[in-house]
Amino acid sequence: MKYFVKVNGHDHEVVLTERLGELLVEVDGEPMDIVYEEVDSLGQVLAITGEGAAFGVSIEGDSQRAGITIAGHFYDIEIEDERERAAHAAARAAGAGGGSVKSVMPGVVVSLLVAEGDEVEEGQPLLVLEAMKMQNEIVAPVAGAVVRIHASEGEAVSAGAKLVDLKAAEEA
Amino acid sequence: MFDRILVANRGEIALRILRTAREMGIETVAVYSDFDQRALHVRMAHQAIALGGELPSESYLVGEKILDAAKRSGAQAIHPGYGFLAENAAFAQAVMDAGLAWIGPPPNAIEVMGDKIISRRAMKDAGVPLVPGLTDAVDDVAEAIAAAEEIGYPVAIKAAAGGGGKGIRIVRDPAEMDTAFRTASGEAVSAFGDGRLYIERYLDQPRHIEIQVLFDAHGDAVHLGERECSIQRRHQKLIEECPSVVIDEEMREKMGEVALQAGHAVKYEGAGTVEFLWSGGEFFFLEMNTRLQVEHPVTEMVTGIDLVREQLRVASGEPLGYGQDAIEMRGHSIEVRINAEDTAAGFVPSVGTVKNLRFPGGAGVRIDSCLYRGMEVGLAYDPMLAKVIVHAHDRDTAIRRMRRVLEELNVSGVRISAPAALAVLEESAFQEGDFDTHFLEALDLSKPHGNEEQLAAAVAAIYRRHRAADRALAVSGAARKGWRERSRAMTSAYSQAAGRPSAGGDA
Repeated sequence: MKYFVKVNGHDHEVVLTERLGELLVEVDGEPMDIVYEEVDSLGQVLAITGEGAAFGVSIEGDSQRAGITIAGHFYDIEIEDERERAAHAAARAAGAGGGSVKSVMPGVVVSLLVAEGDEVEEGQPLLVLEAMKMQNEIVAPVAGAVVRIHASEGEAVSAGAKLVDLKAAEEA
Repeated sequence: MFDRILVANRGEIALRILRTAREMGIETVAVYSDFDQRALHVRMAHQAIALGGELPSESYLVGEKILDAAKRSGAQAIHPGYGFLAENAAFAQAVMDAGLAWIGPPPNAIEVMGDKIISRRAMKDAGVPLVPGLTDAVDDVAEAIAAAEEIGYPVAIKAAAGGGGKGIRIVRDPAEMDTAFRTASGEAVSAFGDGRLYIERYLDQPRHIEIQVLFDAHGDAVHLGERECSIQRRHQKLIEECPSVVIDEEMREKMGEVALQAGHAVKYEGAGTVEFLWSGGEFFFLEMNTRLQVEHPVTEMVTGIDLVREQLRVASGEPLGYGQDAIEMRGHSIEVRINAEDTAAGFVPSVGTVKNLRFPGGAGVRIDSCLYRGMEVGLAYDPMLAKVIVHAHDRDTAIRRMRRVLEELNVSGVRISAPAALAVLEESAFQEGDFDTHFLEALDLSKPHGNEEQLAAAVAAIYRRHRAADRALAVSGAARKGWRERSRAMTSAYSQAAGRPSAGGDA
């Protein structure tokens, strides 16, 4: 099985093949000699690579988005298999620059400035989000139409939560 | 000494105070909001009293509730920790009026030091150096040049109505004054509608150096040397150390003397910190923090003095009992604050439930933490979860130790500030002591600092594969029930065969 793994924004390809009960690992086209052992159910993993380089790895997250800590450094992971990659690519093509505006930080929606069905200009404020005692205007990344609003006024939202779905206007 | 004290705080500082009190044989009373019902400080105190309310404004900040808890618990004194009511002069007075001891400075000292203008005036009168400058606006270029001559170059021209860096010009030479004055004035008019400018000394490469002081109620005082807290962002400190690389014995004595002068001027009692801006061998008063500070442990590690113990002794009326010559500084200590924040995304707060938790250990390591597995990290409270502190015989070893410690530390469920601290400690400029208060903001933390991307990619893929396999193998509820009943029947059959009564139930 092939996985497309984005680590801190950089693309890597991992191929996992099971042969005679053993898992063969290939990263970016090169075989990786790795012993992988899950220590507990909290995401603690022992990894030994090559001639015995040992790493205590901590991993958390779901099947598409994960965070890994190795020796104090954090690695932000986005992972897709081939089917998901194709589906995401198709969705992106259909959206053509539209898509969801997400919250980059946890906060509270102070006010909504647009309604579903509204036409918005690029850079037009969509809503006001209060985080860290500061009010931030969340603006439209592209010109288009507001398809759906996921948040309501006074609602607390987490980082990465969908706020507004936009459909990009046709290129003139 | 007191028999029982109430700690009017939460988090790691509440634990910090409870620990010393317990060691001194003093009974401890914790207070807590509804949000903190399961918190460590509640579990570690002798008594715990609910304040009610979720938010700080409904609990830890409500003076009457704290006083009521003190009355109900029979506490003789209140320790405010830092934050919340620690620098609230009216609350300090209310505590004393209720016949309780306030483990902190007198209300008047809190009040004077809490006001920027009043404290600057008091410090000027006490002979404490302030950033040289004029408080009145200058009218024209000639006046500006005259003022700059008096203050000494370089100077900063600032908009009187200013803020946000607008209308600020740095002038290193009288020849630059004309242009700088006119452009700054123009910028100030367009930005604030007010072209008035004032002049003060510009501090090149400023460093944040602060002096820890201890005063008893009998007029005796000592200083415990400095802490350097230049690794900060928007005045939020991340890494602190003691001693500072730029302070030698002579400078330490000089700054210590001035800090004591500042404290005497307001009849200070207890532990306090006088903050200075240091630049090129000169230092200027910034403010005095009339409480125990977050970074106090580095001073404790280097001097061997338990500051909370001294606070309790002073508040109960004991004299310090030692003089300046008893204070010895040994080795080097560094502290890193572990905050719940995503430092790669501009230090935005991170929320979640703490899952995995692995604390570092080994020689010279101290951890002041309120973390536990299952702890909810929300937005209503301070994001600081823990502090890791190391001590070693010199700075180089302390840096290596801290790097090792941060590599060992693991907190999952929320993002923490440790990777940013690690990135700072890995910078050669930091290791060489070449940094100022702008260092952290200038450091690009959005770029990854780890070198194990391919390993991370492989582990992520294998982990995902295992989870998918787990799901495929997961048994349905009905099947699990069947297995459990069958195994119970077999256990029961075995124990009967062995002549023991049936285990039954949940055994």
